[in-house]
Amino acid sequence: MLNVALAKGRLADSCADIFIQCGIRAEILKEETRKLVLETPDKKFKFFFVKPSDVPTYVEYGIADIGIVGKDTLLEAGADLYEMLDLKFEACKLCIAGFPEKREVLLAPHLRVATKYVNTAKKLFFSRGEDVEIIKLNGSIELAPLTGLADVIFDIVQSGGTLRANGLVVLEEVFDISARLVANKVSLKTKAAEILPLIADMRACIDGMQA
Amino acid sequence: MSFFKLPAGLRDILPQESARLDRMEAILREKFIKAGYRTVRTAGLEYYDTLACIESRVPQTKMFKMTDKDGNLIVLRPDMTLACARIAATKLRDEKIKLCYFSNIYDFSAGGNSDREVMQAGVESFGEQGAESDAKTVAFAAECLRASGIENFIIDIGHVGFYKGILEGSGLSEEAAEEIRGYINAKDAVNTEIALKKYGASKKAQSALLALPSLFGGVQILETAKSFTDNGMALSALEHLQEVYAYLRELGVEQYISFDLGTIKSLSYYSGMVFTGLAEGVGAPILSGGRYDGLCAQFGKDRTAVGFAIGLMRALRAQGTEVDESC
Repeated sequence: MLNVALAKGRLADSCADIFIQCGIRAEILKEETRKLVLETPDKKFKFFFVKPSDVPTYVEYGIADIGIVGKDTLLEAGADLYEMLDLKFEACKLCIAGFPEKREVLLAPHLRVATKYVNTAKKLFFSRGEDVEIIKLNGSIELAPLTGLADVIFDIVQSGGTLRANGLVVLEEVFDISARLVANKVSLKTKAAEILPLIADMRACIDGMQA
Repeated sequence: MSFFKLPAGLRDILPQESARLDRMEAILREKFIKAGYRTVRTAGLEYYDTLACIESRVPQTKMFKMTDKDGNLIVLRPDMTLACARIAATKLRDEKIKLCYFSNIYDFSAGGNSDREVMQAGVESFGEQGAESDAKTVAFAAECLRASGIENFIIDIGHVGFYKGILEGSGLSEEAAEEIRGYINAKDAVNTEIALKKYGASKKAQSALLALPSLFGGVQILETAKSFTDNGMALSALEHLQEVYAYLRELGVEQYISFDLGTIKSLSYYSGMVFTGLAEGVGAPILSGGRYDGLCAQFGKDRTAVGFAIGLMRALRAQGTEVDESC
């Protein structure tokens, strides 16, 4: 049996569609339920519903053999696992955003950056040799420049609607983000006969959707 | 009531679990001695400079550092292979010697899936070389795991020469190669491709590096890999592994063997074949080892060497609960 860690919500719905197309009896994922563990009727798959940021943890520890999670979460977690497949959905970008007239603040000697992605931001600015003050927020990141808490924000941008509504613009697109299939480093080898065909099926399915 | 806590990443082992460890240690000790390995106990503290000045240095962030009375920086032993290589090169005269140990190593940066104090049982054999010696070491590793009551495991074999060979003449800078190594190690084909476009490697190297994340599986992948390179070092690495596999079949352990050419560790002293032991139900390797021919020379005497270490706590987890817990 394969154990699969899934992030609750929209991502889980998109995953369910792909799983069903690949012939997995994942209809159970579509049911309204408060259960955290669901098993397919043929007992070939067990799904765990976890918080998105916990998907890498469950997979790194090997409690889940595979998981599906956004690239942004993977970058932030820095977990030791295999990233096997780009599922292409939930596409967005990790961006630096701020007031349009403040483009020059990017070069300020002490830039203040508000973000949920503290580790990713640290790595990014460190690799550029820039000293910045990273301010950790848990939501409504766009509020930080409006209130003067930070000069810019570092966050995912999907449609850009929230930015526009608050008078902010993307100053720089840094990473392309989409959902990824990750695998535990041991499970990929010890359960290769179950995991590899699944990945091949999912790859074909995604390529089919792109075409 | 007051609580006395331990620092993060450390734990006490209480009698029941300790007894299981004792049993596993006793089994392994008997195996090691019968195979001609002699135990050593290396110093728990070493000079920082010893480990930071060699070519294959231990990353600074991985070591517990303290200051000695005379102001020298000292560290808690971060690695047993380095300690054994230092001893073999500086204190033992024998050209050929087989050492084994049951010791703790310390990793300052560990956390998450690994502990900061790791109990290891390992063997290091100096002065032997060639595919037969490599195969015997792998087969012995399999025998040790089996003797410890672990049945569902795989020994996953790679070779650092394949990656090194592909990098030769690829035109990639050391920095770029290190970034790409990280992606390949995570089998992250997306970022491998982006990085290759950014740094612009040679055509031949690009196709080989892009293939690396998927070059794992049975022995047939070694043949597949040959089509991606005409580099001498890379090809001889593949031929070496095929030879090792032939010996492993003779030794009757081929059912435990798989190959992965995309596992490339950073800053490592390994020079040839590398391998890890993977057990179902344990999310991280229970055993790791390989050939490190250039390491002794860094301590002053050139010796070929190959060895492996078993992580005892992880091996205990791989045993599962079917083992008798009565005592």
